Amino acid sequence: MSIFIDRNTRVLVQGITGSEGSFWTKHMIDLGTQVICGVTPAKEGQTIHDIPVYHSVERALRNHEVDASMIFVPPKLTKDAVFEALANGIKKIVTMADGIPLFDMVAIRHAALEHDALVIGGNTSGVISPEEAMMGSFPYWIQRVYKRGNIGVMTRSGSLTNEVTAMIVKRGYGVSTLIGVGGDPVPATRFAEMLPYYQQDEQTEAVVIIGELGGTMEEEVAEAMEKGVFTKPLVAFLGGRTAPKGQKMGHAGAIITGGKGAVEDKIEALTKAGALVADRPSNVGILLEQLNVPKK
Amino acid sequence: MKLFEYQVKDLFKNAGIIVPKSQLIHRVDQASEAFAQIGFPCVIKSQVLSGGRGKAGLIQFVKNEGKGMEEVTRLFALPQKISSLLIEEAVDIAHEVYASFTIDPISGSALSIVSATGGVDIETLAIEQPHKILQTKIDMNLGLQAYQANHIAYECGFDPEIAKKFTQLLVKLYRLFVQYDCELLEINPLFITKSNELVAGDGKCSIDDNSMFRHEDISVPLGDIENEAERLAAEEGIPFIQFDGDISLMCAGAGLTTTVYDLVHYEGGTIANYLEFGGPHYKKAMKAMEICLKVPSKVILIVTFGTIARADVMAQGIVEAIGKLKPDRPIVTCIRGTNEVEAVETLRKAGLNPLFDTEEAVRLAVALAKETKI
Repeated sequence: MSIFIDRNTRVLVQGITGSEGSFWTKHMIDLGTQVICGVTPAKEGQTIHDIPVYHSVERALRNHEVDASMIFVPPKLTKDAVFEALANGIKKIVTMADGIPLFDMVAIRHAALEHDALVIGGNTSGVISPEEAMMGSFPYWIQRVYKRGNIGVMTRSGSLTNEVTAMIVKRGYGVSTLIGVGGDPVPATRFAEMLPYYQQDEQTEAVVIIGELGGTMEEEVAEAMEKGVFTKPLVAFLGGRTAPKGQKMGHAGAIITGGKGAVEDKIEALTKAGALVADRPSNVGILLEQLNVPKK
Repeated sequence: MKLFEYQVKDLFKNAGIIVPKSQLIHRVDQASEAFAQIGFPCVIKSQVLSGGRGKAGLIQFVKNEGKGMEEVTRLFALPQKISSLLIEEAVDIAHEVYASFTIDPISGSALSIVSATGGVDIETLAIEQPHKILQTKIDMNLGLQAYQANHIAYECGFDPEIAKKFTQLLVKLYRLFVQYDCELLEINPLFITKSNELVAGDGKCSIDDNSMFRHEDISVPLGDIENEAERLAAEEGIPFIQFDGDISLMCAGAGLTTTVYDLVHYEGGTIANYLEFGGPHYKKAMKAMEICLKVPSKVILIVTFGTIARADVMAQGIVEAIGKLKPDRPIVTCIRGTNEVEAVETLRKAGLNPLFDTEEAVRLAVALAKETKI
């Protein structure tokens, strides 16, 4: 099993006829994802890679049953697209766009909580269960990064995720499900909220979080571990240890944190909760070995 | 985008928040007229975007024209090239308060942060005396309610006359916060004068970059950015920070660039600049290299591992930039990700020796920086 998405997840794609939407829908299908239908206003009746397109989500759902929506619309239209999916009862949503206005992300986060839905993103590559299925844009054909295995990965970053995951794979591990919560200051879903799913997932035997300076998401992970919500081995890699104070470096994660958010605080919190923290990407796999995580 | 103090105070004034009488000057010869308008004593405030102006001596309280002219001349002559000064009347202060709005990412709400102890660094106060800070979550679908503002005012211990004025001020400040898509909108200090007026002594405003398309009326004059590399980066929207070390980073992806920054330090190297040309900027290798070449450095280190930011596109851009700009310093490349095989081929054809391992690339850059003399 994996979490969030597998071969059985039926996916609707919002913005399927756009260049990104069409390109990555093809790759999602090629990997094994069940893409059922798509939505682009004014394009009903067309097909993209043999997938039927509808004017609206409600019209698509009259003809199909879906479990999740993948949103490829531009940043300015993202809020509306997420609201449309939520209003139609879809509980799993991935939204990729980089550049979503801050207040739109606040509204999306708020609405996701109210609908009790999992919205992943924005500013993310999405979610992938290697060799199973994906919602998003991952170069899954790069075998030294996207290999199936027993390590759950959560990240705020794109390029850094490729870097760290390649190092995990190099050490002989693979990935159960990788979730990019996204690099925006207000991600719709936070690290700690995904931990219970990894806890339940039989395929996942350890989790790697790829965090960085700013915000409090890593501290929330530590808190979840302290409370016993998550009890499997956890390794963290955090970028920005040597970053000078007061500079906006990395993702725009650091809004108000009441003195929290420095990497040293995150390391302290995570270590106290029993996690191991890697100082460089190449050490992540070594720390997994130290925690006796089997290689599967 | 951060605004200058004078821009923030214009927003305040238009929203009905009282600010001290002031005049903005760009040259020494404008000072005397400004002094005549404002009178003495007054405050000369350097318009720079960095914090800690007081400690850096960039804010001066002056009592007469002689001293005033002396300070204006000194401030305009500083090496950091201050482009404008705000000459502002001195306010008769009884008390200082802190008030701001920001976002609470966990609840997905706006957050009002108020402290009856103003004029201090709120981050320090949050650590040392957290009980002195009132934080109130605001449902952005509903907006700040009058009862919330009223409650905050009385929790601060204000008497009814001031509480009423503070409630109105907070409502105006929230409206501005929403109107301008702010990450942060802050008044610190908010003066309570001896005649019980509330006056915004200083203001900070950071507008969400992703929302700038809604605020075409607002911009920070790029001409005011003196450093050429910084100005070029700002024009392109490319994240860039200059330091004074040896290795110029031209990387893609915020997380990866920050990690390479750390790795350089672990290997005993120093950073000349942070530059991140991933995401929407991945086709801008030419511009990125042009910026890096404006910074004194001994080596340029290029590390990428992109998905949508395709490796082949970036490699092609880098080769073209090298051809056109003819860099005078060594370049280390480590380009991976989508279409990486083609990328390696492109780089090799151009006579580069592309590496595939980030740490190896970092070690090579550090070694080259130690060998190279400028």
